[in-house]
Amino acid sequence: MARLHPNGPKPTQITAGRIGLYVFLLVAVLFFTLPLYTMVVTSLKTMDEIRLGQIFSLPSKLDFSAWTTAWSGACMGTVCVGIRSGFWNSLAITIPSVALSVFVGAVNGYALSLWRPRGASVLFGLLMAGGLIPYQIFLYPMVRAMATVGLYNSLAGIILVHVIFGLPLVTLLFRNYFVSVPEELCKAARVDGAGFWRIFFEIMLPIAVPMVVVVSMLQFTGIWNDFLLGLVFAGRDNLPMTVQLNNIVNTTMGERTYNVNMAATILTALVPLAIYFLSGRWFVRGIAAGAVKG
Amino acid sequence: MKNMMKLFLAGVAFAGFLTTAQAEDKPTIEMLSSWTSGGEAAAINVIKTEFEKRGGVWKDSSIAGFGAADAAFQNRVVAGDPPGAKQGVIGLAAADFVSQGLFNSIDDVAKAGKWADVLPKSILDLISYDGQTYLVPTGAHGESWVFYSKEAFAKAGIAEEPKTWDEFFAGLDKLKAAGLVPVAWGGQPWQQSKVFNMVLLSQVGIDGFLKIYVDKDKSEASVEGVKKTLAILHKLHGYIDDGAAGRNWNDATAMLITAKAGVQFMGDWAKGEFTVAGKEAGKDYGCMIVPESPGMVYIADSFYFPKTGNAETDKAQKLLAEVVMDPAVQVEFSLKKGSVPARSDVDKSKLDACAQKGVELMSAGAIVPDQAIVLTPQQVGALDDFVDEYWNSGSDDTAAAAENFFAIFE
Amino acid sequence: MKRKTNLSATFALLPTWLVAVVVFIGTMAWSINLSFTNSTIFPSSTYVGFAQYAKLFSSAKWLASLQNVLIFGVLYVGGCLLLGFLLAAALDRKIRFESAFRTIFLYPYAMSFVVTGLIWQWMLNPTLGIQASVRSLGWESFVLDWVVNRDLAIYALVLAGVWQGAGLVMVIALAGMRGIEAEQWKAARIDGIPVWRIYVSIILPQLGPALAAAGMLLAMGVIKTYDIVVAMTNGGPGNATEVPAKFIMDNLFGRQNLGLATAGATVLVLGVIMIVAPFRYAMHMHSKARGAR
Repeated sequence: MARLHPNGPKPTQITAGRIGLYVFLLVAVLFFTLPLYTMVVTSLKTMDEIRLGQIFSLPSKLDFSAWTTAWSGACMGTVCVGIRSGFWNSLAITIPSVALSVFVGAVNGYALSLWRPRGASVLFGLLMAGGLIPYQIFLYPMVRAMATVGLYNSLAGIILVHVIFGLPLVTLLFRNYFVSVPEELCKAARVDGAGFWRIFFEIMLPIAVPMVVVVSMLQFTGIWNDFLLGLVFAGRDNLPMTVQLNNIVNTTMGERTYNVNMAATILTALVPLAIYFLSGRWFVRGIAAGAVKG
Repeated sequence: MKNMMKLFLAGVAFAGFLTTAQAEDKPTIEMLSSWTSGGEAAAINVIKTEFEKRGGVWKDSSIAGFGAADAAFQNRVVAGDPPGAKQGVIGLAAADFVSQGLFNSIDDVAKAGKWADVLPKSILDLISYDGQTYLVPTGAHGESWVFYSKEAFAKAGIAEEPKTWDEFFAGLDKLKAAGLVPVAWGGQPWQQSKVFNMVLLSQVGIDGFLKIYVDKDKSEASVEGVKKTLAILHKLHGYIDDGAAGRNWNDATAMLITAKAGVQFMGDWAKGEFTVAGKEAGKDYGCMIVPESPGMVYIADSFYFPKTGNAETDKAQKLLAEVVMDPAVQVEFSLKKGSVPARSDVDKSKLDACAQKGVELMSAGAIVPDQAIVLTPQQVGALDDFVDEYWNSGSDDTAAAAENFFAIFE
Repeated sequence: MKRKTNLSATFALLPTWLVAVVVFIGTMAWSINLSFTNSTIFPSSTYVGFAQYAKLFSSAKWLASLQNVLIFGVLYVGGCLLLGFLLAAALDRKIRFESAFRTIFLYPYAMSFVVTGLIWQWMLNPTLGIQASVRSLGWESFVLDWVVNRDLAIYALVLAGVWQGAGLVMVIALAGMRGIEAEQWKAARIDGIPVWRIYVSIILPQLGPALAAAGMLLAMGVIKTYDIVVAMTNGGPGNATEVPAKFIMDNLFGRQNLGLATAGATVLVLGVIMIVAPFRYAMHMHSKARGAR
């Protein structure tokens, strides 16, 4: 399988090309880090300092009050409790949604690629078309359907919605992964008398672990970052952090408090960021192991 | 594994039911509003406090942004799970809901409270459908105000409020020369449409304005008026700063509060922001009706009361309607929100200089309705598109643009 | 294993079939039906033929939104692929601190489009961001006003989008590069081919399928583009960054124009099918050919 180490000749000495390479990388680093840097320094400044208009300068004195305000005191309309309640809501929505959709996607990918029951390619085509359609179109009829089955404005409802809209992407990724698994593996197991589910749990799921990691991370960020579906389907008791972020950013008290807005923004992005910083290696490994292939 | 999944699903479903089942013995209202800016939140808090004092339970469901709040509301209506109350403007937007039988009538509250005697007829007509009262008005807003920072005017050496457009533009030149942003422009379509309307009123007068918007009149006088309006808009474009595109109105107001900019065209809710920032009307900032304007464009806010099928909520809705119409609440709310009380029998002495001007114009009948009152939401959207397109195109072909304006009524 | 129809496999796919038929097809049928009515805020059953479509295609906003999403889509996907490939190639050159670089390039992918849009709107806003800062350093005539400039706002969206998505392509491309046999490198070096030529002519073609998959992942987001536009420009200035998903959303709710919104949706879906169907057909033929091997 793929290695994690570079190919090609060993760099011998410092050449113009080598310098150019590092210059390119450093410019890229600047481009990629500047926004995060700006957010962090702004969140640590006082409003007096922000008014000076030097968005890239370091704060003269570290001031964490914007962070505490954003977490537990920022106002949304008449309620001033910060985004902490949204944090727990987001977790309650995201974790089950990811678990369920990864499971369903894995089964789908496995069935579609290694069993190919009648109509498999039709189903796959439908899913792909569904994956390309903007969510907005689904809202109205979905709201009605969810209300009919009594799931509208509930945690179960928003989880179901995320699973449904995650299906196309998740199925696509697992299908492409399982397509590259040798059919012989499956055939041999069947000769031994193993059925659909046994092959799935005992053979396919274990070899798909790298893919499970990749899909889980993609789904986690996607669902955590969702705004529209959470706004429409979650109900007021389950509103995710992104909806509260929007409320805070648009709630002003005379003057826009950029430091609080930035702190709230970073807090909202913190969980997916932490996941990428801490498990980025596994993400890269999963992809190197063939997670995303043509 | 399969059993675990089942257990897990059951748990998820159960958690869902838990959150929906709640004991409700007090009159409880869930309020869905998009009032999240400082002044707006302070104003709705007045109603909330009084509602709670009278034994009600208030559940706040604020969602920032008209669009997002409307989307959430419409979806909940479609799902048959509407909130107990929704804040919205008086006008044709509510008409469809009423005609579909989705809103509760609060006619008995209105009769008991003798609303007909204390509300101006224009507002009473707008909250009633087929003789039944459905909406409760929280207050009316004058929309054709020019706010200015006294500090900025002093810096630029402008001594007096400009009376004509020529004086106005001369003032803007002075502000520019003083290194300030002359106009704190809110570059969002709805704000731009409001500026268009206030300038239009200054050019065609009250009758001309009503002719255009109510009778959809396209006579030569109307076309001329629109052309002159567009010419003024084009000229104004030279006095805004680079950051204007997409700017929120309250951010524009903040530019006046910090004396970075000279004037802002906005409805009187901008006063709410000044108040929250501790600024006083007449002392720190001034307010004037758009130059050459014979009257004021107005809009009114209200609460809608959707049918929830819950008798307790119906009671709470009636209690809320009473609270909103309470004379003391009307005044207190208006002070915070920057509006004019809908009731005409309240104590106006507490109102600031700007609001007093507004009350004068209103009681003199020198007012014209906002587009949301006389146009369908589709036409309002078309108007926004038209003004936005003209404003951003930088074109000064007013004749061609005027043609496009009249096309919005089609 | 084909054709030995397995009940378990069919059964396992049932929920997905249900979703595909009820949600995807059901919604489409509902939308197409409504697009021929004069529905405003609630569905109506008064049919008006193609009137909504006529209105749609006479709307400057809709036409602009189609054009914008096309420009954005091509530049965003292309930009991500190009920058992602370049970054991967650079990291493939035995660089120090490779994993630190990799993390830095990948982290924006964890950010939502809303956050991405907000940050870049702040950065590119001429009175708050980079322009103001550079000017205060003394370069008074410096201009970076993309978000508020009618002709450049769409490129501001592309910039923010590429910032967010390039890291994903980099990871995928880098994984592909690491999969290339050392033998190929040796052979190419012996032939004296310069390094950049090796990447362009030897490695790039082999990465084709992986890059196509990455492109597909990104493209799935393009037609749905909504959050980033709302957070960054809200469609403006003028129609400069209006996109179809936002047009549909606006008409669905604020403008209470269900008929027009569903007509827009129908056009969009037809467009998607016209793009995807040939692609799917080609893939299908391709896999058939592989199967016959």
